Amino acid sequence: MSAPSVGATDQPATPPVGPAPLVAEVGGGRWGDLWRAIGRNKKALAGVLLLLVFVVLAIFPGQIAPDDPTAQIYTPALHPSWHHLLGTTGRGEDVFSQLVWGTRLSLVIALAVGALATALSVVIGVSAAYLGGIADGILSLITDVILVLPIFPLIIVIAAYRKNSGLFTLVVVLGALGWSYGARQLRSQTLSLRTRDFLESARVRGERKTYVILFEILPTMTSLIVATFLGAALYAVLTAAGLQFIGLGDPTSQSWGTMLYWAQNGEALFAGMPLWAIAPGVCIALLGASFALLNYAFDEISSPALRVRKLDRTRLRSVELPQPDPAPTTAAENTVLQVEDLSVAYATDAGPVVAVDHVDFELARGEFLAIVGESGCGKSTLLYAIARLLGSPLPGEIVGGRVLFQGRDLVLLEERELRRVRWRDLSVVMQSAMNALNPVLTVADQMRDACRAHSNMSKAEIEERSREVLRLVSIDPVHLHSYPHQLSGGMRQRAMIAMALLFTPDLVIMDEPTSALDVVAQRSLMVQIKELQERLGFAVIFVTHDMSLVRHFSDRLLVMYAGQVAELSRTSELFDRPLHPYSQGLLEAFPSLHGPKVRLLGIPGSPPDLANPPRGCRFAARCPSVEPRCTAAEVPLHAVNGSLVRCILQQGAR
Amino acid sequence: MRFVLRRLGFFVITLWAAVTANFAIPRLMPGNPALAMMSRYRGHINPAALHAIEIAFGVKNHQSLLSSYFSYLGNVFRGRFGVSLTFFPDAVSHDVLQALPWTLALVGVTTILAFLLGTLIGLVAAWRRGSVLDSVLPPIFVITSAFPYFWLAMLSIWLFAIKFHWLPQSGGYDFTTTVGWTWAFIGDALKHSILPAATILVTSIGGWILTMRNNTISVLTEDYVRMARAKGLSPWRVMWTYAGRNAILPNLTGFAMSLGFVVSGAILVEFVFNYPGVGWMFLQSVENQDYALMQGLFLMIVVAVLTAILAADAATALLDPRTRDVR
Amino acid sequence: MTETLLRTENLTRHFPVGKLLSRQTLHAVDDVGLTIDRGEIVALVGESGSGKSTIARMLALVYRPTRGEIWFEGRPLSRLRGRRARLAYSAAVPMVFQDPYSSINPAYRVSHGILRGMKLHRGELSRAQRRSELNRVLEAVGLVPVSDTRQRFPYELSGGQRQRVGFAQALALRPKLIVADEPVSMLDVSIRVGVLNLMGELREREGVSFLYITHDVASARYLADRVVVMYAGHLVEEGPTEEVLQRPKHPYTQLLVSAVPDPRAELGLADARDVGEPPKVVDPKPGCRFRARCPFAIAECEAVTPQLRELRDGRRVACHVAD
Repeated sequence: MSAPSVGATDQPATPPVGPAPLVAEVGGGRWGDLWRAIGRNKKALAGVLLLLVFVVLAIFPGQIAPDDPTAQIYTPALHPSWHHLLGTTGRGEDVFSQLVWGTRLSLVIALAVGALATALSVVIGVSAAYLGGIADGILSLITDVILVLPIFPLIIVIAAYRKNSGLFTLVVVLGALGWSYGARQLRSQTLSLRTRDFLESARVRGERKTYVILFEILPTMTSLIVATFLGAALYAVLTAAGLQFIGLGDPTSQSWGTMLYWAQNGEALFAGMPLWAIAPGVCIALLGASFALLNYAFDEISSPALRVRKLDRTRLRSVELPQPDPAPTTAAENTVLQVEDLSVAYATDAGPVVAVDHVDFELARGEFLAIVGESGCGKSTLLYAIARLLGSPLPGEIVGGRVLFQGRDLVLLEERELRRVRWRDLSVVMQSAMNALNPVLTVADQMRDACRAHSNMSKAEIEERSREVLRLVSIDPVHLHSYPHQLSGGMRQRAMIAMALLFTPDLVIMDEPTSALDVVAQRSLMVQIKELQERLGFAVIFVTHDMSLVRHFSDRLLVMYAGQVAELSRTSELFDRPLHPYSQGLLEAFPSLHGPKVRLLGIPGSPPDLANPPRGCRFAARCPSVEPRCTAAEVPLHAVNGSLVRCILQQGAR
Repeated sequence: MRFVLRRLGFFVITLWAAVTANFAIPRLMPGNPALAMMSRYRGHINPAALHAIEIAFGVKNHQSLLSSYFSYLGNVFRGRFGVSLTFFPDAVSHDVLQALPWTLALVGVTTILAFLLGTLIGLVAAWRRGSVLDSVLPPIFVITSAFPYFWLAMLSIWLFAIKFHWLPQSGGYDFTTTVGWTWAFIGDALKHSILPAATILVTSIGGWILTMRNNTISVLTEDYVRMARAKGLSPWRVMWTYAGRNAILPNLTGFAMSLGFVVSGAILVEFVFNYPGVGWMFLQSVENQDYALMQGLFLMIVVAVLTAILAADAATALLDPRTRDVR
Repeated sequence: MTETLLRTENLTRHFPVGKLLSRQTLHAVDDVGLTIDRGEIVALVGESGSGKSTIARMLALVYRPTRGEIWFEGRPLSRLRGRRARLAYSAAVPMVFQDPYSSINPAYRVSHGILRGMKLHRGELSRAQRRSELNRVLEAVGLVPVSDTRQRFPYELSGGQRQRVGFAQALALRPKLIVADEPVSMLDVSIRVGVLNLMGELREREGVSFLYITHDVASARYLADRVVVMYAGHLVEEGPTEEVLQRPKHPYTQLLVSAVPDPRAELGLADARDVGEPPKVVDPKPGCRFRARCPFAIAECEAVTPQLRELRDGRRVACHVAD
């Protein structure tokens, strides 16, 4: 990931919480990465080692086992000794030798059934999803029917008619009945891939269907195919052992299941030969466990959310931990929020990343502050840090600074005390209402939850208040009892804003609430937000990536770059006379609808890797007016004309 | 409504597939065991038993395959599975109904309990991410879920019945107590069910815990959970109605899909414990080549599994408004 | 000297929706007539659901038109017979996609798609020629140093770089017209212009035409020679970029243009009250599809679907009221 600058315009952006996408991490990419990931994961390592042991036993039983497993040459029911590590069976065979020789058949069945079932899963699952229509309908129905049919009894029925059938039949029957779970998974994965543009791209290119399936779809599903194989192998181990145990296998074969069959028939447990029955079971369990562990570890590797990353605070540079301050500085009468020196860090595989780096600002009562920046600049992280919504299971942790709200430091508040502040005084509006509204509750339910948590309003009062706020955002109250999926995108977004206004809080924090909407809807929602804000008098922190959107709505503008405040000015001031070269660049980055057409350049390059921030000014690498002194030392914020700017070129300006 | 109808349709189709498999399997086997069996028994057993086998296989002399298939379907539909050879002259349906309550009580109750308990533990483990509960349980249950049910059953018999003599080693009740709705009998039956129930519980609960934990972890990163926290709801409310209710939906689907696997394990547990339920009787019938009884029991198992799946579907429809909407 | 490269005539695409018993028809695109000249950049502008992407996919042969015809270099596509002819067209009209995070197969290095396209469409090239052509197109889209970028995996590239890979894939086919479906809407503001400039440069240097599909009116102005405005599956206005955007005639175009946030203009609150959303066009009745939101609607709008009519200066508009 750390090659020197690539590309004319932009280099690899390191996302703040950046695992590579699932398929890239396991499905493709470099195999070395996969091995390293397995090496790091204890469960995977345990699984691999276990499996390796059994593979060795299966390949070299003659070299490892002291005796012929079928030779009934010893005294029956001997206790364990140096000659007979696990004692002897009721028929005078060496238990340890039987165990070693039994590995081969169990492993062969597991691998063969795994391979057969996986092949069937892939063929049926992928073609069902890719063909679609009636073919999909029929294949999916067959898959589901086989899936819910109790397979084991069915196999018993088959075996009952055909006793002592050979290994081949066993593998074929287990494989033919064991593919359905994998096929279902692969089908749904393929369906989700079908909407991905790279398949469309291959089709538009004119590729044939077989090519698309074999060379575009399958390589991206490696991890799922491996999981399918492991699952099928586990199922094969257990099912085969079960069949052999009840005597439906070949009783003369050497396998753990057969050992258990003889142990059960020989009353091993009652006749003082517990190891005869316990040892083969342990082997079955261990072989099964090796597949299960690998499967589970694979799941963990391919979906990073399942991994716990602990933030290593000792590796943070120059960030002090929050200290309880006995006397919080009383802010000006008019201030509703004061953010002091706030720093937030993420734990990543490459160590801690400071996503928000010593951010300071104040917010006056009823003020509209916009925070602008590119993706990965830390603007949303800052927002959620202020609202104290970071932390497990979501990444990010406040590692320094204070958030003074109503005279109290939110950073130090216990969750219980925080709950009293939440929503009554400080509410949040998120980017996508589709994701932010609970899909299984109606809008009314979700409003009631908030009301119940903070007041003892009666049912009727809650209903009345909910209708009232819906009317505020121009939604007909008939939609109150709808589920989120029944509303249109614009309405959901409005409903979320309505919900945020239930208690008319002092501060509403908004994270790109309009960016999922079309321009026309976006514009009307902005106007509405502004109107409500002026009417009800709440303060707003509004995060956006599009600074032209807030031009006419925000009082002040905070431009963030690479986790730091680049510039903080009055909005009109910043648009007329941007101080920071980055602000200038942003202003010149988007074309205008009016005025003369000029060639724009945008801002070449891309933001620095925050895991490894550069020395001095973080914008230096992309800055058109960079000087040697820019990278010499950290650049502080300079006050210029009532604005704050982090640029050394503005030092001493007035 | 449409969702429920669709699932009912699936119920019928799957049942039909199972019945057809029952009819087809003996015919598809090399050497046609159905006919072989008929000629082997003819003249050796009494005509009633022969008739029973005829019904079980849907074989009547000089009947075409298709018409014997339909008469077979008709018999199954009317619950006529023939006569059991093992428990001659009991009707198969009689024996099946005899065994059913035992299995429902043991396997049914234990499975539901394992599902509920596992879901709960999984939810709490994910909620308390990184706690002892969360870091210790998952790896343990990954391994226990790979245990063969029957082996754990043997092990528990050896440990608790043979070594310590704490619990009875086999059967559904003591033959000295009289069967009936008496406290003595119920207590005895409960005592006999502890070991098999514990075996099923321990081996099946791991799967539910793991899937629920993983579902919950991904649900916890959803915006609506963050939103619920922002609203200042009590952790209890966030955990149940926001995280739990959404995370359990895929788990219900998982329940439906892995039920067959649990039932397979339960059959072997009954076998090891000589527990007088459907599974034990099923394996008895296999051993005694009592095909009529075997087929009847197999269908019984299928119906039980499908009914449970239907219940899971109903729960899904109840919990998820999106499945209720006709789109 | 203009020469028509591609022309559509009554291009229509319907999709069946609903269940068996309540089968309905979604009119994604209705009767669209579009022309693109050689070396021209045409912007297709509209909100989500207006049918823009459906048109793109008909041009790329993903969807077959329900009705109407596409003429490419004077030949109708419906008469395209055989794989060879389809491949030849696919090479001439490739497509670049919206989402840079899903448009490149994550399992392969970035060179895969480019080389694969050449193998498929330019079989005459030797292995070495394909290599040097790969270097040429990567350089043309600004992915330098080429020796490094070509062996990267997509997840090692930023969004802007991935989008450039998309253009390189198209370029390797020696295209005549690139259909670019919202190529910059998912990129960061600071690098959007770079990709827009790239399209302009490719037009200059390689003589490629572009159909630039976007919802961003300002970027359409920056890049395009001509603008085509879609609403709910209908083409509502068309003409030279400056004409249409500075003096929009159709009430919808007026609304769209006024809603664009423009820091350099004063805030006009005129149409901000509009909370309507574009309709889902299912089994529509005749009449103007914008009438419910239109401040100027008259009785005729309820009954008669307005046809595109020619105004002066090469402009066409589908409205009963506009003049």
